[in-house]
Amino acid sequence: MDSEVTKFDKNMSAVTFAEAGEFETAAEFLQEERTEEEAVNPIAKKKPYAGMVIFGAVSLAGYIALMTHQGWVSNEYTMGGWHAAYPVVTALAFSFIHGAFASNLLSVLSIEAKK
Amino acid sequence: MKKLLFVILGIFLILPMATSAFAGGPPPKDIMKGVFLSVDDTARTTIFKKTGSEETAQLILGKNINPSDVRLNKKVMVSLDKHAGENVIKSIDIMFLDMTVKRIISLLVIGLIGGLLSGFIGSGGAFVLTPAMMSLGVPGAIAVASNMCHKFPKAMVGAYKRYKYGQADIKLGLVMAVTAIIGVQIGIKIQKYILNHFGNAGSNLYVSFIFMIVLVFVGGYVLYDAYKLSKGSDESKVSKLALRMQKINIPPMMYFKVAKLRISFWVTVPVGIFTGMLAATIAVGGFIGVPGMIYVLGASAVVASATELIIAFIMGAWGSVQWGLSGLIDIRLTLLILAGSLIGVQLGALGTTYVKDYTIKLVMASTMLIVAVSRGAKIPGYLADLNLRPALEPQLAHTLSQVSYWALVTALGSAAVIITVAMVKGMMQAKSESQTEHIVSHG
Repeated sequence: MDSEVTKFDKNMSAVTFAEAGEFETAAEFLQEERTEEEAVNPIAKKKPYAGMVIFGAVSLAGYIALMTHQGWVSNEYTMGGWHAAYPVVTALAFSFIHGAFASNLLSVLSIEAKK
Repeated sequence: MKKLLFVILGIFLILPMATSAFAGGPPPKDIMKGVFLSVDDTARTTIFKKTGSEETAQLILGKNINPSDVRLNKKVMVSLDKHAGENVIKSIDIMFLDMTVKRIISLLVIGLIGGLLSGFIGSGGAFVLTPAMMSLGVPGAIAVASNMCHKFPKAMVGAYKRYKYGQADIKLGLVMAVTAIIGVQIGIKIQKYILNHFGNAGSNLYVSFIFMIVLVFVGGYVLYDAYKLSKGSDESKVSKLALRMQKINIPPMMYFKVAKLRISFWVTVPVGIFTGMLAATIAVGGFIGVPGMIYVLGASAVVASATELIIAFIMGAWGSVQWGLSGLIDIRLTLLILAGSLIGVQLGALGTTYVKDYTIKLVMASTMLIVAVSRGAKIPGYLADLNLRPALEPQLAHTLSQVSYWALVTALGSAAVIITVAMVKGMMQAKSESQTEHIVSHG
């Protein structure tokens, strides 16, 4: 009920200013209302919790696999020649998965770039 | 136009991979990878099995090597002393360190801060990470190789973020990367030559020496420029050198939209080549690339540091293949650093949207100069390793290694503090500005 009154009041204020010839102020009243509506829009504010958890889990599993198979990994990855593809591809794959996790993590923490 | 650029990018990535895969090159002469199978304390000999072959060889311990230095069944890099006779061991480096909890945590933390720097100033992972890994006991060549392999996926993530913020000039990045690849090739040749002829100590000395020279000169100049900006206006001006370069009218002339500059292709060539040479040698091209783009080409610090990430990605991918062919990448180190640096790089990238050009230059200069101290303190020790000076007294050696270590910690710490403070300030300012707007519009 409160918000309805405020909305009504705002509209009336806008009309008053508009009638008085102060179009800019009138526009400000109306514009303000729009941005407030955008702010409560749930889609804009939704945080990527699911993405963070899923990518985080996949990434963590990868690290555990790496650490538990150190001997094999160290040996196979350093044979030289065509084995050069192993470290390069592995690093790329980890960066996609772990990078997606990091990006979601920062969004969840509300650390965003300046608009 | 954008499609065309991506096609060129693709070709440049695939082409060197295809050709260099066949060009494995001759195996290093005085350096061998393999494992020790047994050691004879009295005869001072060992049985050594080379990687990739079933044959074993008998090696003699050099006069500096104790039988207790020989770790059995561990992959090692052995450099031979040709002057002392046939098959005499000069030095032994364990290729793959045991991963202790302390080492893992150190790698995660330096990865995070290195990434933060990288996202912020375009390079910075490696110049902190290479020395940091060497401080943890990783041999020089492995530190550079593992870094290179962590750098390109990280740079890719950073470049993508900063492209989204409208800071990265893809065209400039590609043009620079093309010449930088030629530079990388030259750099790798030099590094391999030194590793083969002077062993690990030579390689360490060379890496440290190049670090020192570049860091002191370029860092000093960037600091001077940041100091001038802090006293004068906030807006940075295009350098006189860059203005003169932009007047050179040798075709093909190129226009870079994001960097907002028109310059001859030939001016970008030397900047690119030196960037590549430095990158292949110490895994940090950005210390030539970023100041080069700012002071020689005339780009802003924000655009230069963002564009550097594109160059770093292309060169890093190419360099990783090269080092991978030599089998020197320790993927465990690479991935542990990536764990922290992929978070750091995105944090640093978004940090640049809150600060001015001057802050980026200040962070770059201060970090470069402090790291120079760290590497400089290591040089006397490496000189002694190469018998170019008498052995260090234990007290002096201890002091120097302490100086080296703490300078590194200071460099990391101070950069992280400056970036965090600048970012938090910027974020609070942006918040209060939007609140003020809110109040004003409410009336």
